[in-house]
Amino acid sequence: MEDNNDNKKSSRRQFLKKGLIAGAGVVAGGSLLAAYVDKSKPTSGEKVKVLTTEGELVEVDKALIHSPRVSIEESHKGIPGRKFVMVIDLAKCKNARKCVEACQKGHHLPRSQEFMKVYLLQDSEKSAPYWFPKPCFHCDNPLCVSVCPVGATYKRSDGIVLIDNQRCIGCKFCMTGCPYSTRVFAWKDYPEYAEDKEPYSPEASSPGKEGTVSKCDFCPDLVRIGKLPYCAQNCPMGVIYFGDIDEDTVTNGSETLRFSELIRDRSGYRYLEVLGTRPSVYYLPPVERQFPVESGFKDLEESVKNRFKNTPYGKTHKL
Amino acid sequence: MENKDTKEKLLREFAPQLEKTSPATLVWILFLLGVIAWGVYAFVAQVTKGHIVTGMRDNVVWGIYIVNFIFFMGMSYAGAIISGTLQLFRTEWRKPIIRMAEYLAIISLLIGPGYILLCIGRLDRLHYLALFGRIQSPITWDVIAISTDIFGCLIFLYLSILRDIASLRDFSELKIPAWRKKIYSMLALGYTGLPEQVKRLRRATDIMATMVIAIAIIVYSVLAWIFSVTLQPGWHSTIFGPYFVIAAVYSGTGVLIIAMWVFRKVYRLDQYITRKHFVAMGVLMVVLAALFGYFTFSDYLTKWYGSEKNDESLIRILFTEYYWPFIFSNYIGVLIPLLVIGIPKLRTITNITLSALIVIVALWFNRYLIVIPTLESPYLPIQDSRPEWANYAGTWVEYALMAAGVALFCLMFTIASKFVPVMNVSEMSETPKTESSELFKTEESLL
Amino acid sequence: MRTQNKIRIIFFFLLCFCKLVTSAQNKKDSVTEITPSITFTYLNSNDTIILTANIFDKKEQGVFAIKNAIIVFSASGDKETRNLGQAKADEEGNAILKLPVATAIPKDKDGKTIYTAKFNGKGKFQPAIETFSAKLARITVNFSKEDSLHFILVTATQVDYKGSVKPIQKEKVVVYVPRLFTLLKIGETDLDEAGTGKVEYTGKLVGDSLGNIMVIARIEENDKFGNVQGQSSISWGIPKQYYLAERPTRELWTPIAPIWMIVTLITMLTGVWAHYIYAVIQLIKIKQISKKNPGNPENNNKFT
Repeated sequence: MEDNNDNKKSSRRQFLKKGLIAGAGVVAGGSLLAAYVDKSKPTSGEKVKVLTTEGELVEVDKALIHSPRVSIEESHKGIPGRKFVMVIDLAKCKNARKCVEACQKGHHLPRSQEFMKVYLLQDSEKSAPYWFPKPCFHCDNPLCVSVCPVGATYKRSDGIVLIDNQRCIGCKFCMTGCPYSTRVFAWKDYPEYAEDKEPYSPEASSPGKEGTVSKCDFCPDLVRIGKLPYCAQNCPMGVIYFGDIDEDTVTNGSETLRFSELIRDRSGYRYLEVLGTRPSVYYLPPVERQFPVESGFKDLEESVKNRFKNTPYGKTHKL
Repeated sequence: MENKDTKEKLLREFAPQLEKTSPATLVWILFLLGVIAWGVYAFVAQVTKGHIVTGMRDNVVWGIYIVNFIFFMGMSYAGAIISGTLQLFRTEWRKPIIRMAEYLAIISLLIGPGYILLCIGRLDRLHYLALFGRIQSPITWDVIAISTDIFGCLIFLYLSILRDIASLRDFSELKIPAWRKKIYSMLALGYTGLPEQVKRLRRATDIMATMVIAIAIIVYSVLAWIFSVTLQPGWHSTIFGPYFVIAAVYSGTGVLIIAMWVFRKVYRLDQYITRKHFVAMGVLMVVLAALFGYFTFSDYLTKWYGSEKNDESLIRILFTEYYWPFIFSNYIGVLIPLLVIGIPKLRTITNITLSALIVIVALWFNRYLIVIPTLESPYLPIQDSRPEWANYAGTWVEYALMAAGVALFCLMFTIASKFVPVMNVSEMSETPKTESSELFKTEESLL
Repeated sequence: MRTQNKIRIIFFFLLCFCKLVTSAQNKKDSVTEITPSITFTYLNSNDTIILTANIFDKKEQGVFAIKNAIIVFSASGDKETRNLGQAKADEEGNAILKLPVATAIPKDKDGKTIYTAKFNGKGKFQPAIETFSAKLARITVNFSKEDSLHFILVTATQVDYKGSVKPIQKEKVVVYVPRLFTLLKIGETDLDEAGTGKVEYTGKLVGDSLGNIMVIARIEENDKFGNVQGQSSISWGIPKQYYLAERPTRELWTPIAPIWMIVTLITMLTGVWAHYIYAVIQLIKIKQISKKNPGNPENNNKFT
């Protein structure tokens, strides 16, 4: 039974991987094509790419490729004509934590800082527990932005809420202002910050700075080159969909769907709608799940597993 | 009108306070400096190693620093409101204690904001608050309000000590160095008690007393709004503004009673600060105790009765993990003054002072219970395997800096009392001294 | 013999020593050889053939693109193999070559061409090769309105060995609209005998700010044709609205505070500070009065 499950999982994973690659190919084709059509230049002359310099062969970690970092001033503007939205399908999440790991790697974060957190939630005693990945909700009424005394955190025209850690004074008011415990503080100068040698940009939220606040940024530095945020790219289950809400389209890399239809058909909702923060992140309820909640404990590090000890589920199942 | 002879007599009596420092006081000052040095050491540790040395983490982002901030600001506003009100109503018994209330207002106002600075991650960017200030942020309101308050309190204090400074300038028997005399002479602004000067001084003092009361209420409400504008279950409450103001005055009354007791002992002011004053302050404290109890009850009752999920979990934490601090701050801290003042037999100076001490500690815990348990019970449950990230516990750094703040408070009070008498000599000389000492002689004999 | 042996032994030790030194110096370089893989994508888009070779190295730590790797593309038919050119991989490992369809590309009897992407290897990087075969084709997209219905018309043709054009029959064509990251599928159709298909356009899709949408028709991962696509744009979309213009918001998070707040703040501050100034003026007056007064205590003070 166990083996069977494993096999299913691995085959599923492989399929999705393939899908991802195919998806990437499509994207490449698509974006190339778009560029070609937009410019409407004849390409007949361009037969062979002229190679002027040879260049050393360099291995580049594909997981870390991003657009050239924009200036702080530029990061206030937002990507023109876009309004980003994320859809998280709780039915598919099995706490693989690949989103967390990829995000931490991409943002050069220490282990103790998670922009993406995966909770084990259980709404009431008799209701079923489920895994709940939680990025920043990039609210349309962001209380964190309202309360910032120096304008270090701001909302852009594309809906993304960013933090400028060159401006942040570290008062942490935004952290208490956010009802979703999204923001993290640099309690010390973590060595991971120094690994990032590139200049700072709020769009990359990296390198981090001691005594300032940071959080999930929807990875605009990846979006600018047509790549999905780290979490969406790396989820083996395709849990996280991302897109432009005005285009009414979201994708998890392998599957592209109409946002409105997805929300309609799967009864999508926003977390704690009652608070009036108007999040940009929607959840699809954990119905007809692909994995039992227990599968989320498999291969889990002890320290991570201990997090769920005090949850109602953890208590009844003696984690 | 001022009675010149009474004034001379009073000045002669207070002169030793200003002239020399006793060895005991010197030891006391050295001790305070030692505590402050410990705080400086802790501060250096925090600056060099980062805020990781504190007990604060991503969930409980505000800890003892903010508690102390609220606490000291509360004392300040209490000082301001008490001195302002007593001044405006020309209450007779204010005279020996109003100076202490003014000192309390300004000294705690200078220390309080220091705690918010300790809480700030990047002190090097503090000037950004002025450079890039956003009017929408309650922190900006607070910065504006506190700086306005500091100016207001300084002006008010200055107006109030002006006559005493003039008296000290004119008091030829005072044996102090020339430079100090020069300072008195400069600060006295040539005040000689001309009718025109008296008129203007009184007008200015009354206006500033009104301002100080108004600002104290606004500023402390602003401080409360820092908490209540957020959506956190324990903070998001409309009652917080008035609740904080009342709690502030309540705790400040306690501190004032302690200050009265201490100065009475140290400077032997038994004949000026009498049981009458303690009882009067005690009655004020009881009124505030009742109000504070009422607000506390209203706040928790509404949360408990509806028992919304997050409110309920907060109240559960308060009645389990924080059971004793909760009982102490919200039951004992309210009931003890009610009993002590309510039963005439218990109304002794010692009892009133002791209950004041209980009130102060209780109110400190009250703030602790407002700040920390709320942050420990956010909407999304804290799921962290590291205990220090889930539950807050102050570290030595925070307690050292808390002790340093209290020490600084005491030190500043001590130094201030060495500069201008802790009693308003000019005002006290306006009435025959006998009234205060003889009328209540019978009551004093009860002590 | 003996001396020879000795020399051999010495030589052997020398060799060992050298090897030790060199291996210590560039342990990674000599010990770990890298065997890259290539993913080869072929896209026949209207008048252009886009060949994309992605060269990468899959490791435990993740997938590494090999930047600056030179990929040589060639096409072969029955008789000849033609070098198409070469391209340098960018930092994502993509080496892209665009060929106009008009280029004489060698074909076999079925009209198919075998495309090859080859990396010759360099240093520790081992050579890699990948091939793909496809037949030249073309898709055109047209639009029609029948009553109140909107249709997307697709026509697909192929080019055989001799160069004559024939319809593509029975293949599946998927119709997409390009979106930010990927293509959004809006329908699919099977081609009829004449190589045409029809998809109803039902969606209320957002286009550019003028309402133009791009429609892409594709034959995908086909055994014969590979990826073939055609596209055309039409003003059936909903004009894209810009965020700030459209959405009503509360004002507190914006850079400028609401008017009522600024007015309240200024009023209160003015009120308070006016009183402060009044109080300070009283103090100044007190000072002035003393100066006018002959019995100035400051003068008196000097005598005491």
